[in-house]
Amino acid sequence: MKIQFTDAQLALRDELRAYFRELMTPALRAECERDMGEGGGPLWREALARMGRDGWIGLGWPEEYGGRNLSPMEQFIFVEEVMRAGYPFPFLTTESVGPTLAEHGNAWIREDIVPKILRGELLVSIGYSEPDAGTDLAALRTTAVRDGDDWIINGQKMWTSLAHFCDYTWLAARTDPDVSRKHKGISMFLVPNSDPGWSCTPVHTLGGVRTNATFYDNIRVSDDHRVGELHGGWKLITSQLNRERLSLINFGPISELFNQVVQWARAAPYAEGGFIADQSWVQANLARSRALIECMKLIVYKQSWAMTAGTLGMADASAAKVFGSEGFIEVYRLLGEIVAEGGLLRSHSPGALEQAGRIERLYRTASIITFGGGANEIQRDIISAAGLWMPRASR
Amino acid sequence: MDFGFSDIQGELRALARKILDDSVSAGTLAAYDEFAAPRFDRGLWQTLLDSGLPGIAVAEEYGGMGLGFMELGLFIEELGRSIAPVPVLAHCVSGLLPLQRYAGSALQARLLPPAARGELLLTGDFWSGSGVPTVQAEATADGLRLAGRCPAVPFARQADWLLLPVGLADDIAVVLVPADAAGLRLTDLQMTHFEPHAAVELDAVSVPAADILVASGGESLVTWTRERCTAALCAQQLGSADHAMHLAAGYTSERKQFGVPIATFQAVGHRMADGYIDIECLRLCTWQALSLLGEERSATTEVQIAKIWAGDVGHRVSYACQHVHGGTGIDRDYPLWRYCLWLRFNEMALGSSASQTAALGRRLARGEGLFS
Repeated sequence: MKIQFTDAQLALRDELRAYFRELMTPALRAECERDMGEGGGPLWREALARMGRDGWIGLGWPEEYGGRNLSPMEQFIFVEEVMRAGYPFPFLTTESVGPTLAEHGNAWIREDIVPKILRGELLVSIGYSEPDAGTDLAALRTTAVRDGDDWIINGQKMWTSLAHFCDYTWLAARTDPDVSRKHKGISMFLVPNSDPGWSCTPVHTLGGVRTNATFYDNIRVSDDHRVGELHGGWKLITSQLNRERLSLINFGPISELFNQVVQWARAAPYAEGGFIADQSWVQANLARSRALIECMKLIVYKQSWAMTAGTLGMADASAAKVFGSEGFIEVYRLLGEIVAEGGLLRSHSPGALEQAGRIERLYRTASIITFGGGANEIQRDIISAAGLWMPRASR
Repeated sequence: MDFGFSDIQGELRALARKILDDSVSAGTLAAYDEFAAPRFDRGLWQTLLDSGLPGIAVAEEYGGMGLGFMELGLFIEELGRSIAPVPVLAHCVSGLLPLQRYAGSALQARLLPPAARGELLLTGDFWSGSGVPTVQAEATADGLRLAGRCPAVPFARQADWLLLPVGLADDIAVVLVPADAAGLRLTDLQMTHFEPHAAVELDAVSVPAADILVASGGESLVTWTRERCTAALCAQQLGSADHAMHLAAGYTSERKQFGVPIATFQAVGHRMADGYIDIECLRLCTWQALSLLGEERSATTEVQIAKIWAGDVGHRVSYACQHVHGGTGIDRDYPLWRYCLWLRFNEMALGSSASQTAALGRRLARGEGLFS
């Protein structure tokens, strides 16, 4: 038990901070801001490829994929720092779908697709949800039908975020038409978004972020594009979702925002005299935020350690997801109260302040992770069953 | 970054759990309910002393195991799980630790070995108030003379020696006073959780120079010790809360209403899931504080955060566990109720969540405790 970074890990963190100070040029920042913190622009792509060339994306990956063979903890430090720097890092591709592809993919996927991901040259969107299959994901109706050596895919997916600039979709499709087999009739495919049968329409959200509805019209793929066992897709979905739940809880940006709000409150005059940080309610909000973010940090550190030790449990991944998602919302509220009316100004408004403008957007985007990546109600079901061995109602 | 137990830590946890499981039960604890007897199981205490566990953090040259505060904290977590009636926090945390860290070699040689063996029981006035001494000292020809009152000292009635921080002009000294010193008077308190605490009144109590732990600059000793006392309360809270939650998980899995276990109702399962998350937060903050303090690293922020969680989690878990048990949870024939008393004590002692939040907030406003 030693809950501290090693000197080498601290040195890595410092090296990454220096790297990103140089990488994050004003032009790149402006482009990311324009793209609502989602990325996808030309400067963003160039920066991602540069991180890949410089060996950062695959820091914790085995050398056979082009990685540097360090542990998940070093990988985690890298993701923390790239996010802290304000770069919209495509962590779903690199940290959740990528490892699942490496674990279950065939030779083509392991030798071509995964190394391209680590070079920052290939992005994958996730096609799980459908208009009538959300929390009950196994109710999905998109089909893949065998035709000779190929598969013909038809269906519609919802909330396919980033799909408009991704190269492939990691798609869950029904391969056994017997719906009574539900969870046992799903297989996973890697579908090229460049296929003429693939299309998408934007869905605009409260936070200004674009997501997509995606359509799959008689897309023909070879069996090489199928991942894992036939009808064995559910295991891959839950494995990917466990990883996604961890990568959603990234404390780098929120700890940076916290530090900025503290420094701002210490220097900003309070209308009735003194500074904003002198107010007892401001101090209480800061301390409450500090205590919440500390736990986010420790939870993700512990899970990175558990991934290294091979002991990551389902209940703990779900606990991280619930705590982190609800914690973000609470912290944005607590910090938003401190920046007060400033947090009502859009970031491009005259008079907008940097951190207050960010909080204005964050309160609008924060709701997504309490239901995205698996609704928190389902996570709590998992926690009471897998963490406390309580029986649960059959569904 | 290592969240796992070393082999030795795993063995110590297993040893502590074995001894406590064998010796502590609802039946044995009932003997102390409503102050029927002082809540101190001397037989269990001797068994623990024989195992060496109370001397975990004492150097081998003084008869201890030579391990650190991390290991002591893991032992205390097990004590919290069993709410054992033994003076580990008073003796080991507020007695042995500052004596070992701050005493001169003569005092160490005289008191540490018998205290590590348990032949002398120690306690300290580090468990209440703000850290400002409530006892004043004045210099005499051969030492100090004390006057004042310590509002609540755990196991003061049972202890042989009391460690007392005392004001000395503008400075703080820390002294050792024998419990039978002339001019020292104890008043037994009736604490909510039945643990023996006493108010200590001192009227012209003489302290010879040889019994002065530190003659000046005692503020650092007080801060150092109170941070460890606070972290120890968090560890104790962690064990108690975790046990209460597992009682509730077990009960709701067995108890049937409408023909099914009540655990299958999402409203019940989710309340327990929230307890699970809460306790995981408390566990991580507490272990972090223990780890940093064990390595003598600065941990003021981390200890404050752990105590904020200890307070909030104790409160929420206590009432959630009582609630899902229905009347069974408050029935004194069922073990949960005693845990609720300890969850409350650990919540409030050495600063509630509100007061710790205020203290952390003041530091943040000074620019201290930001993320690195």
